[in-house]
Amino acid sequence: MKETIYTSQSPLLAPRVFLREVRADLGVVYRIGWQLFVRNLKVQVRQSLLGYAWLLLPSLVTGLVWIFLGRSRVLNVASGDVPYPAFVLAGVFLWQGFVEALSCPLQQLSNAKATLAKVRVPHEAFVVAGMAVVVFNSLLRLLVLLALMRWFGVPFTGTLALVPLGLGALLGLGLALGWLLALLGLLYADVAQALPVVLNLWFLVTPVVYAPPASFARWFNLNPVTPLLITARHWLLAGPAAPTPGFWLVAGLAGVALFANWLAYRFATPHLIARF
Amino acid sequence: MAASTTPPDAVVTVRNLSKKYCRQLRTSLWYGLRDIAAEAWPGARPPARLRRDEFWSLHDLSFELRRGEALAIIGANGAGKSTLLKLLNGLIKPDAGSIRLRGRVGALIELGAGLDPVLTGRENIFLRAALLGVGRAQALPLLPAIIEFTGLGEAIEMPVQFYSSGMVARLAYAVAAHLHPDVLLVDEVLAVGDFDFQRKCIHHMMSYLAAGGSLILVSHQPHHIQAVCRRGLVLEKGRWAFEGTATEALDYYFSRQLAEADRAAQAQPVPALDAARPVVIEELTITGAGPAVLAGEGTTVTLTYQALQPQENTCWGFFFYTPDGSVCITGASSPSARLAAGRHALTCHLPRLPLTAGEYLVKSMIVELAALQPLAMRGWEDAPTRLRVETPEASMQANAHRMLQQLTTLEVEWNH
Repeated sequence: MKETIYTSQSPLLAPRVFLREVRADLGVVYRIGWQLFVRNLKVQVRQSLLGYAWLLLPSLVTGLVWIFLGRSRVLNVASGDVPYPAFVLAGVFLWQGFVEALSCPLQQLSNAKATLAKVRVPHEAFVVAGMAVVVFNSLLRLLVLLALMRWFGVPFTGTLALVPLGLGALLGLGLALGWLLALLGLLYADVAQALPVVLNLWFLVTPVVYAPPASFARWFNLNPVTPLLITARHWLLAGPAAPTPGFWLVAGLAGVALFANWLAYRFATPHLIARF
Repeated sequence: MAASTTPPDAVVTVRNLSKKYCRQLRTSLWYGLRDIAAEAWPGARPPARLRRDEFWSLHDLSFELRRGEALAIIGANGAGKSTLLKLLNGLIKPDAGSIRLRGRVGALIELGAGLDPVLTGRENIFLRAALLGVGRAQALPLLPAIIEFTGLGEAIEMPVQFYSSGMVARLAYAVAAHLHPDVLLVDEVLAVGDFDFQRKCIHHMMSYLAAGGSLILVSHQPHHIQAVCRRGLVLEKGRWAFEGTATEALDYYFSRQLAEADRAAQAQPVPALDAARPVVIEELTITGAGPAVLAGEGTTVTLTYQALQPQENTCWGFFFYTPDGSVCITGASSPSARLAAGRHALTCHLPRLPLTAGEYLVKSMIVELAALQPLAMRGWEDAPTRLRVETPEASMQANAHRMLQQLTTLEVEWNH
């Protein structure tokens, strides 16, 4: 029969037991996460008249606005060989994925606070369900983006096959930071307050709607999102297949940070619940 | 306090368990950050002493629960009951001591938690089962039994936001009840259901226990505790205060509460007589032949009253209540009596007190018979008289009363 012991000791003092618990939790995360994902989708559409149309409508409307702007030549910004609307849409698509992944843990866990305080359930399930919605929405937006790229005459090349890798790296970086934000944000409300302000500033210093000027390339590369976003956009818009410098370093560090921050959140869980 | 050796069939063993909380929110958040940092530093243990603004929500608690046993946790609000259940459920971690659990733990701490108001009852069954670690495929065969247990009928297809709190309780209890955990933690969840549902839940708990399940029940309903639990543990301000049979634990708890109420009542003087209050009951005493009141022995009841003027055609009565004051066990009313002006006493004699050993409350009143209106009451708005009945001598019959949680005795002429 399964035996469980709770003490005040740090889980690092009994790493085997800790890893066994993690494995047991991960075994049920998929099941619970799937149920929560289905719940999220159902709830999203059940209280609306247009239902599932809302999944595509925002992306479609954004795309149509940019088609209008492109045709009327209101905007005339240098963006290389690629039409500017396609350049912006690709950048916004990737940035949105990053932001949604970054906000996902704090948002999902804050919404589930009442449940987490009373029901013993792996918190990862809520984050996995939230990330499934992020990936699902990203795929839908990608479909719209591909249609718009066709409209703007951007050729489809073999580098498109690398887009999931680029998007995955961005989502991974977002999620790594998201776990840390969740840990702090579930304690202090300042995090949720400051997040929109910080993200707006971050958007401005990231080459989402403009190409980074060569003279400031060094400074732009200090922003970890830059190499990931530029590389993924190249892969989307028939650019060079070779990743920009720093891509692999940031992607690798994001992977390590994702693991470390997730573990840190697990250590923090009982202390967070005690303060819910 | 419980013995330090662990019985071989113990499914829950709690040893020197302590948990502290902070009174100030901001300080609590700062301590939280420090405690989280200490987790990442192997060897760093949280300080066993209290920091500024902290208090022990639970302190040095030890007990165990055996297979097939039901334990009631009894205590006033803030005694640490919910903290204990959260610790047992692994939601929060101890600051000192240990908990050893054998088997799967199921908890009914708050019934509405984890239910989505937009989804139907049927959809929420799968969601709730998933949160308790049971997948859709495993939950599907249980669905008819769960729906039948809820007794919700067609409402099972309705969004949960239109449910009453009792209906939510039915749904949540039904799911948890059918997942068969080895240890079930139940926190005051039956109070919102109707009588049919409460009866169903108690019946379920009894059969769960008979099948070898173990249960820890937190409730303020004495009849739920007495119906389900054989043992009771009383917590006072986070500390172990008493452990015994469920009835003994309830007696202890209510006697402590009443002692506090008595202290408060003694501070209040007897109300003065006036036209609106022509009669007051000053005191009600119950005495036995010796220093103690004994079960089945002769007892004298004395009611001391004050009357502004003589009152004809009245009667007086006294009523024995359970220690929580909710159930009247038995009582007696006098034939027509006359009250004299001034301070006087009314007495009567019970040849054989029909109560078993234990703690009781006694309420009394004087009634005007013509109008059938009470002239004076004692024990309803103010503190009732406390009565402790003792057993004349240890006997098998007295033990049987205790085991059966029997309150009164009958005089019987057996024809065999």
